[in-house]
Amino acid sequence: MPVTDFTFVSRSLSARTFSTITTILTVAVAVALLLVLLGMRDSGRKAFERGTGNMHLLLSRDASPLVSVLNGVYYAGAPRRPIDWASYQQIQQQYPWAWAIPTQIGDSFKGRPVLATTTEFFTAFEPSPGEPWQIAEGRFFETSFELVVGADAAKALGLTVGQRLSVTHGAPGPGGKLPEGAHVHDEFVYQIVGILKPTGSAHDRSLFSDLDSSWTLHAHDRRLVSEGPNIALTTPADLTDADRLITGIYCRLITRPGRDVTAVLQQVFEQLRADPTITVAQPSDEVRKLFAIVSNLDQIIIGIAFVVLAASGVSIMLALYNTMEQRRRQIAVLRVLGATRGKIFGLVMTESALIGIFGFVVGLVGSLIGATVVADLMYQRLGIVVDPSIDPKIAFGVALGTVALATIAGLVPAIVAYRVSVVRNLRPAA
Amino acid sequence: MPDALAISDLRFTHRKSAGTSFTLEIGELTVPEGDQVLLQGTSGSGKSTLLHLIAGLIDPEAGEIRVAGRDIHKLKGAARDHFRGKHVGMIFQTHQLLGGFTAAENVMAALAFSDVPKAEHDKRASELLNRLGIERHGATPEELSIGQQQRVAVARALACGPELVLADEPTASLDPENAMVAVELMKEVCTERGAALVCVSHDPSLVKAFARTVALDALQPSGEPAA
Repeated sequence: MPVTDFTFVSRSLSARTFSTITTILTVAVAVALLLVLLGMRDSGRKAFERGTGNMHLLLSRDASPLVSVLNGVYYAGAPRRPIDWASYQQIQQQYPWAWAIPTQIGDSFKGRPVLATTTEFFTAFEPSPGEPWQIAEGRFFETSFELVVGADAAKALGLTVGQRLSVTHGAPGPGGKLPEGAHVHDEFVYQIVGILKPTGSAHDRSLFSDLDSSWTLHAHDRRLVSEGPNIALTTPADLTDADRLITGIYCRLITRPGRDVTAVLQQVFEQLRADPTITVAQPSDEVRKLFAIVSNLDQIIIGIAFVVLAASGVSIMLALYNTMEQRRRQIAVLRVLGATRGKIFGLVMTESALIGIFGFVVGLVGSLIGATVVADLMYQRLGIVVDPSIDPKIAFGVALGTVALATIAGLVPAIVAYRVSVVRNLRPAA
Repeated sequence: MPDALAISDLRFTHRKSAGTSFTLEIGELTVPEGDQVLLQGTSGSGKSTLLHLIAGLIDPEAGEIRVAGRDIHKLKGAARDHFRGKHVGMIFQTHQLLGGFTAAENVMAALAFSDVPKAEHDKRASELLNRLGIERHGATPEELSIGQQQRVAVARALACGPELVLADEPTASLDPENAMVAVELMKEVCTERGAALVCVSHDPSLVKAFARTVALDALQPSGEPAA
């Protein structure tokens, strides 16, 4: 094999393996940090925005609009204060809704939330605007005690159509932890009738049933307390107004093609806010506010990542500069053999850029692992389904930046190499 | 054919770090194509400096040095480096082989900067190493004896087919017996390849190995050139 420029560069790098590997790792850590932060920030925001779907407003009795969105859309916890059915009907009739879908969160199955709602949830609400629900297998629920399972819940729990199960009274909080007093409703058996296709939203980890099923379960608990343990199994006929409670309302105003809904939305929003018993949230606004809060910290972390990347550039420079003392003799010999100053300069710059390229590749692999871990943590703790892949545009930008930084870092050692005195360095060592 | 080396009215002042200096002056020196010359001088007389001047590594204050008919000091920057790589081979006292490179790679390193087609590099290196009696082409300098390292250095100096080979105290790290063997081999190979050889040494035992010996002092314009 002929000796090429690559031979000189690769031999130089392999001659000091430890220094080369540590320098590459320094660059890789900075690249991974930067890619995970930039990539996850983008996909995290997308994941949050996706979950709110095509609803305009979310109504609840939670403490704040943000809590309302976190609980009602991302299943962060069970809302504590319900809305009675009469209030729901009043709200439904009072405003120009295209739809107002009641939801109730309070039960779970093996740590996965069960959302009780109406069939409109599947026919009108879209988890991502323009992307309606799709059934992977089976059908949507039609009557009581039928369950439809989100894609991720079905996969994680191994649920299939036709399977029968009982749900737990009590919705999991952060980390999937159930509240005190949670118990399984063995008396009531649900049947899975459908599995949903993935939506990339928090709904994928949930199970869905109709409201009557959930109300019946809780009415049975109420009757056990008031009427004693020997009661007959509760049916929808036993329900009272006090049993018919919901925890949230997904609302969308009537929209017409070419007409902006903003003014009407603001008007309805203000009117609803006048009612102190209702918490009104514009989910997209709440997500934006949440990211505005997080972005300050986010920017600091990204700033730190850039500083780490710059520090890794300095470490490349030092690593190469420190080897120059040992390489002066070799450079002098290469010059005698016919290598020009420009060639020597180019070899050192190539070496520096190669460290940057290797650092980027290792960092990219690290970032993909890191993004998967972060996505898993976000899913476990917040129920947010985040795509752990790194946007190729971001990766390309970071790659260019890293190689450019590495090349700049190689400038000083390359200039030193360029200026090596051939005669002085050819003298026999004393 | 031009002479392999022609020096005229050369002057170079070498300033040492201690503040002292000496001036190297050569009125005339000619080495015809394929000729072999031993340049003798005491330590510090400027032998190595003269080789550096001939190779174009440093510039003289005055005079002309023509290598293969070309005034090397009229060439600037990369052009001079290319010219040196193609027309001048150098052998050093401590061989100066590249650490971490095999014997074959050390020879091919010289070819890397030449216009010799890449397909020929391996063949040319193998041929030279075989001729110089190096069987382990894949051995690194650390795995070779001093004598073998010296022969690899000779192969490297001849790799690009130069008209002129400069040897700077090539036997200094060898014992007297091996020194003579090495010099004879070096001369033989240079003759075979048509390269002129200028060897500088302070070792008087080498005089008998060369048909032409020149004392550096005698090259001073005021002195008598030795034959």
